[in-house]
Amino acid sequence: MMNSSNLFSRFKSAMYKRYGENPGTMLVHTGVLGWILSAMAQVSAVVFNDKISKEQKSFLIPQELADAGINILSFYLITSSFKKVASKLVSTGKISTAKIRNFIKTKVDNPEKYIGRFDSNIGKDFPEIKDDYKVFKNGIDVIASTAGSILSCNIVTPVLRNEVAAKLQKDALVKMHETDNNSNTQIGKPVTMNNYIRLSSIKYSSQSLKI
Amino acid sequence: MIVFIDLGRNMALYGIKSSIINAPLYQNAAASLRSIRQKGLDLLPNVQFSNEKFLYKVRDIGKNFSSDKQRLALGITALATQPVIDAKNKRVDEKTRKVSVARTIAKIIAGTLTGFLIRYGCIKSIKSFSQIPGKGVPKYKTIFTPKGIKDNQTDAFEQYRNAMGTVIALGIMVFTNFLIDAPLTKFLTNTFVKHQEMEDKK
Repeated sequence: MMNSSNLFSRFKSAMYKRYGENPGTMLVHTGVLGWILSAMAQVSAVVFNDKISKEQKSFLIPQELADAGINILSFYLITSSFKKVASKLVSTGKISTAKIRNFIKTKVDNPEKYIGRFDSNIGKDFPEIKDDYKVFKNGIDVIASTAGSILSCNIVTPVLRNEVAAKLQKDALVKMHETDNNSNTQIGKPVTMNNYIRLSSIKYSSQSLKI
Repeated sequence: MIVFIDLGRNMALYGIKSSIINAPLYQNAAASLRSIRQKGLDLLPNVQFSNEKFLYKVRDIGKNFSSDKQRLALGITALATQPVIDAKNKRVDEKTRKVSVARTIAKIIAGTLTGFLIRYGCIKSIKSFSQIPGKGVPKYKTIFTPKGIKDNQTDAFEQYRNAMGTVIALGIMVFTNFLIDAPLTKFLTNTFVKHQEMEDKK
């Protein structure tokens, strides 16, 4: 049985091993963790709120879960794809520095067999320039991860969420009106201010708060 | 006994894996995939950077651009894009749209402020509590130092500190999300909406 001290020690070593050499990966993983924790907080805020009725919870929890799914998936898919593509471009030498490329050209007779080949890995094939390669790759990885996270958090996710939220809110309104025995449904009409305020008052946040 | 069972299972799994990998169908599919990927890569031009100023920036970003700065960058760019997206959302009426824009701006300001400050504080704090054990160094100052580390000046160790600080910050922010972000967002939204209403009346 492992005690908490050993567990913490192993956690520190794992963090050092996993992220010490990979700042880009760290940004992607902690970003995803941030969204997961944020989503958990939002969902639990609804689940454990006594002021929200059972019926309202049955509408709100799926909405929060849908929000969470969009946030997490969009962030992970876009940011990790950006990072992976950038890493591949650097590791194959497609994007490189003059110093690295000149070194390869002086080291081998056929640099074209290494530069731009999908299976090549400049960092491993030429360990002599490992340090130059690593700092350049880390920089490109971080730039790509940040660009990916900006695209996903600030453009793709809000657009997707507006689409999904509008649909879910209309469905929720219809069900609420049905529950209240009110036949004045809003299908096909824009969401009105009164309905928006009504939903906002019971929904902790209409869009998850990024932590 | 358990060791033998594990060994047997691993050998069986290895056998299955190698028979799949060596199958002609798999080999052909892998070769085709490699060829497609290579063709995709060939479409891109070879890019070579030689400007030292630019390369210095790239290296500096790789070393020093931690999650607090990333959060700040996300917040600043969010202010430029998200309110515009909400303002163009034709699925809601005009008044709703205005409240939605105000709420989005408030949310970005609140989230960025707390997100940046807490990450920054945690990363700084982890630096203080991840010293190398030695004479005159109290034990609590080594609480976040992984075992076997002799040098805390390396780039890898700096990245570790950033990662650990970020993870601790995320744990804290689960609570501050409700304690600070939510009330601050509400306060700012109301302020912006009131301001907007006063502007509309003029």
